[in-house]
Amino acid sequence: MEILDFYADWCGPCQMMKPVMAEFENAHPEIKVTAINIDEKPELAEKYKVSGIPCVVFIKNGEEIDRIEGVTSLKKLEKRIS
Amino acid sequence: MKYDCIIIGAGMAGLTAAIYLQRAGKNALVLESKIHGGQIINTINIENWPGDFGVSGAELMQKIYEQAKKLGAKVEYEEVIKIIDGEEKVVKTEDGEYLADAIIIATGTNPRKMSEKQTADAGNRPISYCATCDGALYKNKPVVVVGSGNTAKHEIKYLEGICSKVYHIHHDDPIPKDAEAVFVAIGRVPATEIVKDLTELDKDGFVVSGEDCKMSCPGVFVAGDCRAKAVRQLVTASSDGAIAADGVLKYLSK
Repeated sequence: MEILDFYADWCGPCQMMKPVMAEFENAHPEIKVTAINIDEKPELAEKYKVSGIPCVVFIKNGEEIDRIEGVTSLKKLEKRIS
Repeated sequence: MKYDCIIIGAGMAGLTAAIYLQRAGKNALVLESKIHGGQIINTINIENWPGDFGVSGAELMQKIYEQAKKLGAKVEYEEVIKIIDGEEKVVKTEDGEYLADAIIIATGTNPRKMSEKQTADAGNRPISYCATCDGALYKNKPVVVVGSGNTAKHEIKYLEGICSKVYHIHHDDPIPKDAEAVFVAIGRVPATEIVKDLTELDKDGFVVSGEDCKMSCPGVFVAGDCRAKAVRQLVTASSDGAIAADGVLKYLSK
């Protein structure tokens, strides 16, 4: 599984998610997490139809299988991968 | 394990209460359904929090969260489903249940949603409650802002710098056909569903209490924006947190 983490530097809720995502990466080194700045990569935000940030997209075998829009906790992220 | 106090909501009021309780030697559990910080994390630049001019809501709340944690407060990210009042309080969440001698309700408010008719009119178009969070995703695209208050005016001004066209409509007006996203700013509603059977709510759903933050059931207190009061600001939320914590300490000492 792979996770795409859409964010922007000016987005407060995205700043709150940073330590959560860091903790997630530490706890799950087997899952690749890619942080995507929507200002630098608007084409990826468009491709994945990101309509609000923060937005975490779960990818398996190249396909989106789930997403969480808005802030969330480590516990809730872990529920989605179990 | 039983906690001295369970605080529901990890915004300014809830985290302040946790800090006061921990400093008084009590063990507090904070339950939060989303992420700590509350609605102020959407604000980029705060100019009315004394001592930290221009701080962002996210930075301020992260510091306050870390302060509460450093003092020993426990924070769990679970949505509260039910509170069972009694001498020993039971708080049921989506994942389990917790026991405590006292409870502080600091659940804040949520954005008011559009009417069913207006939501249906929006169809599959994204609905956002935060222009500063999501506006950049609609660069050079037409969008619509729903609402007529100061927040709506602020959102319009912000989006006009980004979007090709910003329509402005009122609650229940039809959504313009070419708007690619809908930004809703029609006020906020208290998140008091879990206490509606426990205590008195005013006509708008806010918890009725005196300035002592006491609710009608002994050992249950209310703090922050979900309380019926005249001024809802960061400093008054923090103030409520301290007053509610003080009430809990007095209650526990009886």
